[in-house]
Amino acid sequence: MGGGADRKGETRRLIAGPFNRVEGDLEVRLTIERDQVVAAHVNSPLFRGFEAILAGKDPRDALTIVPRICGICSVSQSMAAQHALAELQGIAPPPNGLLAQAVVHAAENLADHLIHFHVFFMADFARQIYAPRPWFEEVHELFAAKTGTAVRAAIEARATLFHVMGILAGKWPHTLSLQPGGVTKAPDARDRMRLLATVRQFRAFCEKQLFGAPLEEVAALETADALQAFAETGGPAYAKTYLRIARDLDLHDAGLGPPRLMSFGGYRLPDETVFGPGLLRDGRKEEIDFSAIAEDLSHSWMLGEAAHPARGETVPDPQMCEPGYSWCKAPRLTGETVEVGAIARQANDGHPLALAMLRDGRANVHGRIVGRLLEIARLVPAMESWVRAMDVSEPFILHPRRIEDGAARGLAEAARGSLGHWVTVEKGRIAHYQIVAPTTWNFSPRDATGAPGPLEAALEGAPVLRGETTPVSVQHIVRSFDPCMVCTVH
Amino acid sequence: MQATETFYDVMRRQGVTRRSFLKFCSLTATALGLGPAFVPKIAHAMETKPRTPVIWVHGLECTCCSESFIRSAHPLVKDVVLSMISLDYDDTLMAAAGHQAEAALEDTIRRYKGNYILAVEGNPPLNEDGMYCIVGGKPFVDQLRHAAKDAKAIISWGSCASHGCVQAARPNPTRATPVHQVITDKPIIKVPGCPPIAEVMTGVITYMLTFDRIPELDRTGRPKMFYSQRIHDKCYRRPHFDAGQFVEAFDDEGARRGYCLYKVGCKGPTTYNACSTVRWNEGTSFPIQAGHGCIGCSEDGFWDKGSWYARLTDINQFGVEANADKIGMTAAIGVGGAIAAHAAVSALKRAQVKNNGSSRAPDLEV
Repeated sequence: MGGGADRKGETRRLIAGPFNRVEGDLEVRLTIERDQVVAAHVNSPLFRGFEAILAGKDPRDALTIVPRICGICSVSQSMAAQHALAELQGIAPPPNGLLAQAVVHAAENLADHLIHFHVFFMADFARQIYAPRPWFEEVHELFAAKTGTAVRAAIEARATLFHVMGILAGKWPHTLSLQPGGVTKAPDARDRMRLLATVRQFRAFCEKQLFGAPLEEVAALETADALQAFAETGGPAYAKTYLRIARDLDLHDAGLGPPRLMSFGGYRLPDETVFGPGLLRDGRKEEIDFSAIAEDLSHSWMLGEAAHPARGETVPDPQMCEPGYSWCKAPRLTGETVEVGAIARQANDGHPLALAMLRDGRANVHGRIVGRLLEIARLVPAMESWVRAMDVSEPFILHPRRIEDGAARGLAEAARGSLGHWVTVEKGRIAHYQIVAPTTWNFSPRDATGAPGPLEAALEGAPVLRGETTPVSVQHIVRSFDPCMVCTVH
Repeated sequence: MQATETFYDVMRRQGVTRRSFLKFCSLTATALGLGPAFVPKIAHAMETKPRTPVIWVHGLECTCCSESFIRSAHPLVKDVVLSMISLDYDDTLMAAAGHQAEAALEDTIRRYKGNYILAVEGNPPLNEDGMYCIVGGKPFVDQLRHAAKDAKAIISWGSCASHGCVQAARPNPTRATPVHQVITDKPIIKVPGCPPIAEVMTGVITYMLTFDRIPELDRTGRPKMFYSQRIHDKCYRRPHFDAGQFVEAFDDEGARRGYCLYKVGCKGPTTYNACSTVRWNEGTSFPIQAGHGCIGCSEDGFWDKGSWYARLTDINQFGVEANADKIGMTAAIGVGGAIAAHAAVSALKRAQVKNNGSSRAPDLEV
């Protein structure tokens, strides 16, 4: 219900939402003074109670239930659950199993980046408010919602990429073949060739339409200047169109996040983790202290005390009491907010371009978009090498073991950032299950100290033009995080 | 956007060529199992009939139905179908935001009163007056009732809207409730599956838009053209079932050889859906082809029937005293027995459909 703006002197309130083109429901309450946002309250108005549903179930059933938290990051949910179950069973997949899991997971993350850029994010630059800009006509033709030629091309490229899901995972969304011991599908030599051909076809889309350059060339860019030079040379490409807009609108100044960026580590392979984990605090790399994670409930419609996810509960407050204003909990690391996502992943991996995008160690609208584009450029070649490394004569899965008792955590990097599942099993049944999703970190409400969540803080200072009821700056900032609200509150 | 605008007008305006349009008509005829004689009929209908608007609303859900829908196998079909529904309301894909989106919804309801199709993804949670799913400051259940009031028919996309799905699993914390238990005075077409197959979704909506009527439904409200056969009936691993060759664990020799997955929990024999024929992700595969049993996601209550990995399950939806213990045991004893048990169940099923009489829904009249 947008637009409920009432003017009281110079302060007015505005409810931005429901947001279209985001996954799930999102509402942002803005307090505006003169021409800028002075406070923002983010609400996730959708609660389903997955954690309560999981309790009492056979632990293996988590593999069927958790993907259904989200129709867009279902594989990430499966991966987190599967890691936790593997730890409980005391097994690790054989090399083929890890490679196949990584390929499936990467395909989903790539698809999410693709859709975010082409369908969710760029459409806002095709709004009438930008009509006077020199790039408007071009953007409108490429990215206007549904009719844009780039939008259609991306949806088609994604459908092709998802042949990977067909071949290795049977079905997407809500894939079943990912298991603690590996994958149930043992591809043969023919499947392997088809996988490679599919990824190659996707590479062709990226090189021809998205970047207008070889992926290796994009992945080798190291500085902001090199990136701008890239945007201004060679033929037209969707990413170059964006880069010119970003410069015109100073998007690197918009929506600054906290100076803490976290990644749980991208893809586990036999000998390494591609996109290594870490915490980047004020630009310096640290290890993550997992014991210091706590979910604060002071401003959530949840009952109970702040707790580590291995112990925390999810008990909704039916009275929806003040000062609560969201179903979302507020996860904090050593009491502080952190931002997660592709930029956090790439920066923690030490990629120079990702680090160059940070401003005083903080992500921003531009950095988040570049982080995703960079990740696409790095991930596609990696996928090709993973497919090549599969040995179809070797097993893809190990025999599972029965789980009687134990506790474990399963970590994964979804497209939108760090996802954790904390599981306790007693007498062969799930006794306790807690999920902390990427957008839970990024879109959390205030905590007990009154500190706003990363998005809430990023919105403070956003400019509001005269008469705007859905301020376009707010749209850019919100969407730069690529929120997934159905994961946020589950 | 006059009331007299036809589908053909809309498509042309959206940049679909005449040639593509005719191709779409023949694809539609094929997809719906109609002969070539229907192609000119479909074309004529699209050229002359006023466009039927579609309002697509989202309740408690994970958006997997939309995700599936936009990946339909034939890009042309998806393009055309999207252009057909694009003018109205869909809060995941539409361009407008906030109050503009709300205004678009109200406008469509008012302008096309009694003449639009309401597509529902997800379902309303009823606990705490519906406060677990708020759209535009109001409980989703209110939006649903409001939009349903003047709809000519409702499509329940997916298992959430049709049956409740995993969010309604015990203890069903929010009392997630399928659409037909809230809206009782409108024809409802259930398209279950978590999510439904893209081609099934486009097939159903194309049929309704093209012929301006509800497809023939079975007694539970599912379109017969896609839900009249069990996964098992057309499963490519069926010969292994008949030969008594089963996977015992995901890593055994049987798994590598592609044996039947019944003993690792496959629900294919009790699940009505088109996965084994239409398949997923542009026809590349389906769960059984990727070595995992069917979990029966298009069947009512699939979430609360015990572990999906349990070997033998009750198949009580046959409404007869045969359960999986019997079938499973016969299957384990010998091939002949298994086939006999199957045949018996199938015969009972046929008889049941017959006794049920015609379940054909009335055509929609404007």
